[in-house]
Amino acid sequence: MEKENKVAEPIQIDDVNVLVSGQGGDGSLTVTNMLGSLLRARGMGVYTERDVLSRIKGGKAAASLRGSLNERFVVRDRLQLAVIMDEEGLHGVANRLGGDSVLLYDSSDAPIPEGLISDDVRVLVAPFGRLAVRRLGRILYKNSISTGVVARILSIPDEEVRTEFRARFKRLGGAIIDQNLKALDLGFEIAEGMELSSDTGVFRVDKGDIGERLLMTGNEAIGMGFVVGGGRFFAGYPITPATDVLEFLQRHLPTFGGVAWQGEDELASVNMAIGASLTGVRSGTGSSGPGIALMQEGIGQAGSGEVPLVVVDTQRAGPSTGMPTKPEQSDLNMVCFGGNGDFERIVLVPGDPEDCFWLTVDACNLAQKYQMPVFVVTDQAISQNTASVPRFDLDQVKIDVGKRLSEEDLKSLEKYQRYAITEDGVSPYSVPGTPGGQSLVTGNERDEFGNVTTLPGIRQKMADKRKLKLETAKDDLPKPREYGDESAEIGIVVVNAGWGAGMDAVDELKKLGVASRLHHPRTLWPLTDETRSFIDEKKRVYVIDHSSSAQLSGVLMHAGISSQKLHSIMRYDGTPLRPVDLAEEIYRRETEK
Amino acid sequence: MTETFPIKQPIWCAGCGHFGVLAAMDASFDRLEIPRHDALVLAGIGCSGTVQNHMPSYGYHALHGRVVPSAIGAKLANPDLTVVAAGGDGDGYAIGGGHLLHAFRTNANITYVVMNNETYGLTKGQPSPSNAGGYQGQREMDPIMVGLSLPGSTFLARAYTGAPAQLDDLMDAAINHARAGQGFAFLEVISPCVTYNDNYHEWPSTLVNVDEDEGYDPSDRATAMALNMKLASEGKVAAGLIYRASATLREATGDSPPTPLEGIDLPRFTDSYEQVLDGYVG
Repeated sequence: MEKENKVAEPIQIDDVNVLVSGQGGDGSLTVTNMLGSLLRARGMGVYTERDVLSRIKGGKAAASLRGSLNERFVVRDRLQLAVIMDEEGLHGVANRLGGDSVLLYDSSDAPIPEGLISDDVRVLVAPFGRLAVRRLGRILYKNSISTGVVARILSIPDEEVRTEFRARFKRLGGAIIDQNLKALDLGFEIAEGMELSSDTGVFRVDKGDIGERLLMTGNEAIGMGFVVGGGRFFAGYPITPATDVLEFLQRHLPTFGGVAWQGEDELASVNMAIGASLTGVRSGTGSSGPGIALMQEGIGQAGSGEVPLVVVDTQRAGPSTGMPTKPEQSDLNMVCFGGNGDFERIVLVPGDPEDCFWLTVDACNLAQKYQMPVFVVTDQAISQNTASVPRFDLDQVKIDVGKRLSEEDLKSLEKYQRYAITEDGVSPYSVPGTPGGQSLVTGNERDEFGNVTTLPGIRQKMADKRKLKLETAKDDLPKPREYGDESAEIGIVVVNAGWGAGMDAVDELKKLGVASRLHHPRTLWPLTDETRSFIDEKKRVYVIDHSSSAQLSGVLMHAGISSQKLHSIMRYDGTPLRPVDLAEEIYRRETEK
Repeated sequence: MTETFPIKQPIWCAGCGHFGVLAAMDASFDRLEIPRHDALVLAGIGCSGTVQNHMPSYGYHALHGRVVPSAIGAKLANPDLTVVAAGGDGDGYAIGGGHLLHAFRTNANITYVVMNNETYGLTKGQPSPSNAGGYQGQREMDPIMVGLSLPGSTFLARAYTGAPAQLDDLMDAAINHARAGQGFAFLEVISPCVTYNDNYHEWPSTLVNVDEDEGYDPSDRATAMALNMKLASEGKVAAGLIYRASATLREATGDSPPTPLEGIDLPRFTDSYEQVLDGYVG
């Protein structure tokens, strides 16, 4: 059954990277989920990554998982184990195997093509699919069978796996549990044939001490951040990979007296959110690049009319319809500079699910306080991949409604002007339903009362007032975070999934003898002083550009950073950023100097 | 009294139908005793898009074609408000035409008043979708027949600025329909443009007033549709309360969210937030 096996003492590892690949809808991704639970139960942090096509059934579907002793937000380039259910899956994974890697292959349909897998990879082969049909009557059981072998390869004791199976299949009833346990035992039996015994496999994974964690995607964390940040109206239109935010809110907002609405399109959605916001309710909308493009006019309306609005952009590979399920960071120009005319906006760029939560809470406050659109921009990777993150400490959440006027406040005023020119640019506001606060809101240029005007003097004052708000907001903007050697000469600037890949890249560079410091701006627009000083202080700064036109570098340059200082590393093949790839590229450029 | 925005004179041409619509709407709030601070009037882009500036209510000037979704969002967020959307025929039937279909479908409790002058006045006279000079000289689009064809519609009426008493009645009925939680009230007002499409002289012989027909039953959708199709084939247009669903026929949307949307003070919700987080522990 096995091609090759050398039994030796298992290799001790504290960082495990596994990929499972099958066909969409065949259940093979449950192997990853099962393994994730097993590793969590052993005190590790887990991160899982999906690689699927935009279709319901069929087509290659892979999921990979990383278990580590601390929180990590990327799966490593090199895999310890790949579980491949068909020949198609082999082609995507061959270059991520080598050295100590193990390939577990389902040979039911086809053998491994000659020369595809490098010789140093340990290859284990069994016809899981055929065995599932012959011995258990359904091909679906191949997943439970292979899980048995996977557990043995990682030296996870049989009993731990049985316990996990019982818990996982509990709600499906006794017969299902029994069948899956049978399948699992068959997996153990196959593993015996490969000379892998319980607790003595190829690898032995360290136990960690990571306690209670939330397992969340970035999209779920954004939904949660919106709810906790006081968001009570959200309108969106389904689009991959942003739909989960709408679905989360449809599930949870009604509990808190909120409304999550599926509009007939993105134009309706953004304008519904604006209409809701006019009434003083914290409101938001969300989409991916194509939908955000449709919303541009509405976002400009919120900017001009000074209407609070949270906009979630879950970036995917563009342009146009692009590659819906693939990661890229190529909406940065659109969110920072898109729209007609000049209007102020804040752009936040979280780097992991925990960050998604906090930056969305911030976005809710910033939008209302400064009465402008605030973007929360993620990418497909952090939005859909699941990470274990510390539980959010809700005591840290503050709600700030800014200069909201009550009926009593209004009574004490001589006059109320919706667009009053103030020292900080922010006008006090009253919302419909408040007696005495009747006012006009418009996207046209207007005077302080909100009456439309084109008088040059007033126009300029109004434009300056809107600009001033961004200056005022400066101290409130989320601060950057960093990782690595503070004294390093080399800086690396990243957003979104670049944070997870970047942390590992910094560690990798350190192994190669290169000290570096990773910088995640968190607020991309307007650029914070902290990000400016970071770039100033470093000798060379590498910018990880997940786009084909170096959009992140471009935003930095637009903010006044000298292009001399910036060295772009562009990736735009539709695959996630990988740490060793980035580290090797930086190392190559550093050693060529 | 705190001074709020000054109400200026409209920018419309002398004789414009929109004066009549403004007067009817403004007076309707008083007739129905709606406090002005509880009313939100949203308007689109075009000559009609300034109507909110001439009333002492809360006003919002929406993007071109987007007044209906803006109004629905406002109403869903605060059901206590009286929300009236207004706009022109280009705004509502061309660039915003898609939203109209979904407004009928959604049946949110808002009133939508379209000031139909069958032209783009502000950009100097381009034809709009409801213009009479369409295919074979017909009106190519009748939003009331569109509304009749959608099972979710609950209130469809047409008034004429040349018949101000009926306009007042229909305005009151349309605002009341939505306020009473019976759903989306659609009122088209024929409001001729004296500069680019002055057809005042045609309307008296074109309009057929169903309110004057004692045998007409506005709760009978099929009869309404048949009558409108027949009139269209004769080059005529129905006026009056054309269709109103009986109150029990269809529930309106967004009438009563479980708690006021505004209450976002954190401590009240913390326990329930923690429960949601519990679902993600793993």
